[in-house]
Amino acid sequence: MTDGIIIQLAPLEAVHLRNLIDEFLALLTTDGEHDEAITRLTPNPYPDDAAAAREYRDGTRDDLLQRRGRDAARMNAALGSLSADVDPSSAAAVTAQPLRIPVADVDSWMRTLAAMRLVVANRLAIDSDDDHDPSDPRFHVYDWLGYRLDELIRLADEYDAMAS
Amino acid sequence: MSAASPTELVEEQLTVAPLVPWELVVWDDPVNLMSYVARIFRTYFGYGPERANALMLAVHNDGHAVVATGPRETMEVHAQAMHDYGLWATVRKAPQ
Repeated sequence: MTDGIIIQLAPLEAVHLRNLIDEFLALLTTDGEHDEAITRLTPNPYPDDAAAAREYRDGTRDDLLQRRGRDAARMNAALGSLSADVDPSSAAAVTAQPLRIPVADVDSWMRTLAAMRLVVANRLAIDSDDDHDPSDPRFHVYDWLGYRLDELIRLADEYDAMAS
Repeated sequence: MSAASPTELVEEQLTVAPLVPWELVVWDDPVNLMSYVARIFRTYFGYGPERANALMLAVHNDGHAVVATGPRETMEVHAQAMHDYGLWATVRKAPQ
């Protein structure tokens, strides 16, 4: 049995994913103190206890953001082979190719896709299940990330079922 | 010099932490996929598919669900893991 799961990804898609990841990494390293997306990525587990909230935040926030950065960098590196030297006008750029994601990397991919989706949702002000306008092109990125994440979950679930 | 007096036993007042359990609560949000939440409950907590799915549906339908109970420190570790995955998790004392 192969170690890991195999997704089909066009090089141009890999390029787009890497661009998003680069933006995400930049967001993580800026002072996101007052950025609502960063706030959403570092939830307060003690909404009714300011002192406990502060203590938790001081003890965990930086580590959490660093782990997010490591997850994203790992995914970025894995996409490198596909996204190098892509000529966007070529047929090869939009032809899907297999990409193997080792088992050890699957969670990093899922966490990064989910986190980038949360950031996009924040920018789109998605606050309820009904806040979705498929005709708004900005939702395309959101839907595309969701499609990729859902596919990854399905493949990972199948892999687990086979491995057990 | 006087003879050694009997050793005075100082009783240390050990403050025993009350065994009040804490809860890890996961809250619904409009972004995270249902398949994703169920998978995390299954893979991180080791819950069976049925329990993981039932908890995911409870989060979705009721707005939140208690997904783990235990010592506060453990619940905080779980909360960090949930936050890593992008889930919105809080920690609270279990209702008496």
